[in-house]
Amino acid sequence: MQLLVNIVVLAAIYALIACGYVLIYRASRVLNLAHGELMMLGAYLLLTTASLHAGHPLLAIAAALALAAMAGAFVYLALMRKMTGEAVLAAVLTTVALGILLRGVIVMLWSAQQQYPLQHLGFANPPIALPGGARISSAMAVLVATTAAVYLGLFAFLRLTRWGIRLRAAGQNPLLAAQRGIGLHGAYALAWGLSTFTGGVAGMLIAIDAGLDQTMVMIGLKAFPAALVGGLDSLAGALLGALVIAASEVLLIHYVDPLLADVVPFLVLIVMLAIRPWGLLGTREQLDRV
Amino acid sequence: MTHPASILRSRLLGALAFAAAATAAAPALAQDAYVIGVSGAMTGPAAATYAPAVDGLRIYLDGVNARGGINGRQVRLVIHDNQGEASRGAADAKKLLTQDNVLILLNASLSATYAPMVAEAKRAGVPVLFASAVCPKEVYPPADPLQFCTTAFAANHDSRATLSFVKQQSKEPVRLGLAAMAIPISRAEIDFAENLSKQMEMTPVDKAVIPPPTADYTPFATKLRDANPNWVYSWAPWVTQVRTLEGLRRLGWNGRYIAWAHLNAEDELARLKDGDFYVIGANAFFQDELPVHKEIRDAVAKAGSQYPPTQMAEGWIAGMVIEQILKQAGWPTNPQKVAAAMSDLKVDTKGLRGGPIEWTKDNHFRTRQYYRVYRWDPSASAIRLVQDWQAVDVK
Amino acid sequence: MAHASGYFRTDYRRDLWLLDTRAQHVAAAAGVAVVVLVPAVASPFLLDLANQFFLASIGAIALMLLTGLAGQVSLGHAGLLAAGAFTAGILFKEFDAPFWLTIPAAAMTGAVLGVVFGLPSLRLRGLYLAVSTLALHFVVVYLGHEYETKRGYSTGILIDPPSLFGWELYSGIAWYYVLAAAAAATLLFALNLARTRTGRAWRAIRDHETVAGALGIDVARGKLSAFVISSMITAVAGALFAYYRSFVSVEAFSLFLSIQYVAMIIIGGIGSLLGAVLGAGFVTLFPYALEAVLRMLPGGAAFASAIFAVNYAAFGLVMILFLVFEPLGLVGIWHRVRDYFLLWPFRQRPALR
Repeated sequence: MQLLVNIVVLAAIYALIACGYVLIYRASRVLNLAHGELMMLGAYLLLTTASLHAGHPLLAIAAALALAAMAGAFVYLALMRKMTGEAVLAAVLTTVALGILLRGVIVMLWSAQQQYPLQHLGFANPPIALPGGARISSAMAVLVATTAAVYLGLFAFLRLTRWGIRLRAAGQNPLLAAQRGIGLHGAYALAWGLSTFTGGVAGMLIAIDAGLDQTMVMIGLKAFPAALVGGLDSLAGALLGALVIAASEVLLIHYVDPLLADVVPFLVLIVMLAIRPWGLLGTREQLDRV
Repeated sequence: MTHPASILRSRLLGALAFAAAATAAAPALAQDAYVIGVSGAMTGPAAATYAPAVDGLRIYLDGVNARGGINGRQVRLVIHDNQGEASRGAADAKKLLTQDNVLILLNASLSATYAPMVAEAKRAGVPVLFASAVCPKEVYPPADPLQFCTTAFAANHDSRATLSFVKQQSKEPVRLGLAAMAIPISRAEIDFAENLSKQMEMTPVDKAVIPPPTADYTPFATKLRDANPNWVYSWAPWVTQVRTLEGLRRLGWNGRYIAWAHLNAEDELARLKDGDFYVIGANAFFQDELPVHKEIRDAVAKAGSQYPPTQMAEGWIAGMVIEQILKQAGWPTNPQKVAAAMSDLKVDTKGLRGGPIEWTKDNHFRTRQYYRVYRWDPSASAIRLVQDWQAVDVK
Repeated sequence: MAHASGYFRTDYRRDLWLLDTRAQHVAAAAGVAVVVLVPAVASPFLLDLANQFFLASIGAIALMLLTGLAGQVSLGHAGLLAAGAFTAGILFKEFDAPFWLTIPAAAMTGAVLGVVFGLPSLRLRGLYLAVSTLALHFVVVYLGHEYETKRGYSTGILIDPPSLFGWELYSGIAWYYVLAAAAAATLLFALNLARTRTGRAWRAIRDHETVAGALGIDVARGKLSAFVISSMITAVAGALFAYYRSFVSVEAFSLFLSIQYVAMIIIGGIGSLLGAVLGAGFVTLFPYALEAVLRMLPGGAAFASAIFAVNYAAFGLVMILFLVFEPLGLVGIWHRVRDYFLLWPFRQRPALR
């Protein structure tokens, strides 16, 4: 039973991070390799708002989330907008460079020492007992619930609201969407804002549970195979991919060799690229195939 | 009115002459001070472990200089930041050895930087001192003539001391769980501990090796808990030690956990407030408020540093050792005399360690290593000493 | 090497030469003289920098051949360097092999890995190819990690300097000449390769794959050969790196190193070998230049405690600036400056009809 809980928790972490990759890719066909760093930025922002609003943790969280979303839109408007006409690879390399820049700036502003936002917020993180003798920490339980809520919200948003439909249209056929009168820059900025918002949520919850330091970037990078395995432009695919990768990781740790945990997401990725490059639920035509 | 071309020519010649003079002036200034070179991970991901030590050393030597220096000479510390990278460590070593002509090369960085720095130092015949960086096995007897180490933690000896403590504390048979980080040093030590525990009639039930960038320690902790240990030993960077403990506690495991006391152990014990969490280390905690602790606090307050004084014990010890070495080496001196002084040294650590640091021709680590064990006492809401200085002979 | 001034070849033999005019010959000779004479005036620190630059340029030229010439994106460059370095290290440690065995062996390993890294390119392009090379890089690094741990070399593998008939290659000056010769040989090889049938096939594949196939070029073989040749050079560079530092450790081959090599060819200018060399120089010297500048600025001392972070941030910023504002890189800047002087008083080349 504990194994199942572990799989669900890890899958929730990867899924919450992966939907950030999917949102941006779906809207603009750009792979945002700076997502790990943006996620980390959200967590560090929480650290600052928590120490500023010492008595009001909920206010601090809300402020940090708003700042994270604004940061994403800002990144698009200030930087990625200039790359919209260029080759996709140039845009991806720009995100890589942005990630490096962010990492340096974060260390300059906040120092590389281990931080504990939980202490600043004043919450506690007690374990919760589940049926079957399994245990889960409160923060991780909140994360699982949040992932479910975020995915449901995103599905509803993309299908039912005006802006969601605009986002999807911009992703499917930018030329036609622009001619229809949909502001492409607005749609892309929205996608970026949503992506950093969800990434920020993930980063904050992970930081609350386990502490905050520079290794969070690697976690963001490990979630990227989850997005790709499911299909870079499919939200449902991201969920499925996260489950697949989390399950293989946890089961391998338990039954085979704990060290494989680091390399398993990438092995699954290679296998997937070899047999079905567009992912489990992605659209086939998105791939530059030979 | 002179011709413009000749003005240009004379200017060019002047510039060339200046450039030649500048490059020629590069070699060392008059050697009227003891020069010690440091290549450390001052910035970068590993800096939190090493930079406080180098800062402590700097503050100590500044104090020595203020009191008149050693043998009437000042001590000049040249610090380079190698950011934990081997290439930079090698470049730093080359520069310190050939341009600054240092008497001792100090390494306060990751083990990846060791080999190139040691190779360069050997070529130059200059001794290498490892301070706050893990001691390489070349400093254990029989020791390499040019490698020395003041760092508290030590492969193999730490595990021996820890397992002896565990055996002594335990009334029932010990089922031992082990946790390492997936870096070669930690893994090697935990493998050693696993074998040692079998020889000491303990049962190693499971060994968790955890890659550094792990989102959730629970799967590893689950595997460890399922093996049902009553003691868990971890020898790894602090973050792995602590998160494994937190993971185990979250799963409802109530056994006893023992880990190495890194420089932030004192602060962390107070944060975690876990009564069954033991830390074993070779440095005295600042809560003992020995005179030397007050000395450190005062000096740091006066000099200013971005690191708290509680993390500077390693650097202070390195400073005391260097002071003693240079006193013995006299003036004028050279690297050979310094190395000779280092091969026959006894330094009083004033209580920061359990006893003096003694180096001999064969032993460049210390002849005796002293260990203490602390834990958080929930009933007293304070850190308590569980086992006072235990000496281990290093052979 | 098209020039603003014209075409100077007068017979077929001269058509094959790399340099045309007397001015170019003189410039090349002066360049060689400078390179040869530098060790006479340089401090050991500068020599070390120069050696790092030569090593970086070998790897950058290899990556340029793969990405700039053949159009195959690769983010796994550090993995190939690691493979070459580890081959040299493993052969030395286990079998005490001399360097004239390990370097060809490293080339062989590079070739084999080149096939492995190149297989995805037969089915994928662009983004997905980059991702597959990224994943393979992690796998290679993991294998290196396993070797280090299983064999107990937790602090890395120590290698003796290469020796020939008792003379050891150790001093900075000796290494300078060896590495300068190696870099020059690689550059010449690459320049000539670009002009051969293989090079032209690669360009065709990069520009228009379907048309290249229709013209009769074996596209699969072209792509694989690009990966194999580039990987062989990279692995040899990795082995040289291992010998220069006298040791191998897996921590040196991180993802950031791959990104640095990609930055070298981007900052230098994609598609140009001169760009690869310029980019290698820029990326190698940038951290040192930044440190020197910070030391001179009045408020700089405050940043010294965060120099690692400042390096990172500045590197990311420079890469972004080049990607956004100067996609043609340093070579683009150089061409613009050169054309300004060559064409003056005209602003643009006359349109030839």
